[in-house]
Amino acid sequence: MATPAREILQESAHAAHLDDAVDEVFRLMMGAPCTPIEVGVADSKETITAVIGLAGAMSGACTLRCDLQTALRMAECMVGIRPAELDAMVKDAIGEVCNMVAGAWKGKHGVLSSGCMLSTPAVVTGTNYQLHMQQQEFRIDRNYRFESHTLNVSIICESIQ
Amino acid sequence: MFMSEIAALIVDDSSVMRKIVERALRQAGLPLSKVHEASSGVEALDLLKSERVQLILSDINMPMMDGLEFLRQLRSQDLAPDVPVVMITTESSEEHVKEAIVAGAQGYIRKPFTAEQVKDRVLPLLDLA
Repeated sequence: MATPAREILQESAHAAHLDDAVDEVFRLMMGAPCTPIEVGVADSKETITAVIGLAGAMSGACTLRCDLQTALRMAECMVGIRPAELDAMVKDAIGEVCNMVAGAWKGKHGVLSSGCMLSTPAVVTGTNYQLHMQQQEFRIDRNYRFESHTLNVSIICESIQ
Repeated sequence: MFMSEIAALIVDDSSVMRKIVERALRQAGLPLSKVHEASSGVEALDLLKSERVQLILSDINMPMMDGLEFLRQLRSQDLAPDVPVVMITTESSEEHVKEAIVAGAQGYIRKPFTAEQVKDRVLPLLDLA
């Protein structure tokens, strides 16, 4: 018999909740919409990925992946100053956006809202890397457009209690 | 109407979020004399031993000492009696809100937030609404 968490997530593992969470965060924190797109986010010379771990009723991660120009623009929208390079402030900003997206997404699922904890953000930079998990219950993988930029947000569920 | 100037303390491990919260306080029209920043509960408790503030805004999910433990220690050490504390966090379930209120918070704001939401939650606590 399925657990309540599994039942709820199976019903709503579709992308709509993630789309709503991403758009809410971008509208409120950056003053601009962030809408889903069908085309993939192209690999660039330098990719920035923020990761928030999920633990409790659901174990897994929320990731936000984008290129350098997108990361710089997101940081600029948040603090009001255009950063010149990928510094600690930019990584901090991307981590916080990912944190808010993960929080907003889990807040849309009653059983996860209180039963699933978020880690503090980790930010990874580099080229041509992928995040792997030992096992995967489900994965929501979505691409978005923010102004003229694109980004990818994923919810990777390793296990559900 | 004359409004006394207010010193605020913003506790968040993200320097970007500290800036955003400060900007929201200014947009809310708070007469800020000084804004102190701390990146953890430990740093905030240490700062409050030497600085007086009239308002504290704290994240919950922080390394070293989280916001709820900071709040409990703040109240038990009587470091800032009667100073309103507002939690600003991505954790927004009823259980989290209750836990924060029991620990001694007067307000709760969910991230992401608008300056208007900060104004609505904070000003009444300072009798500025």
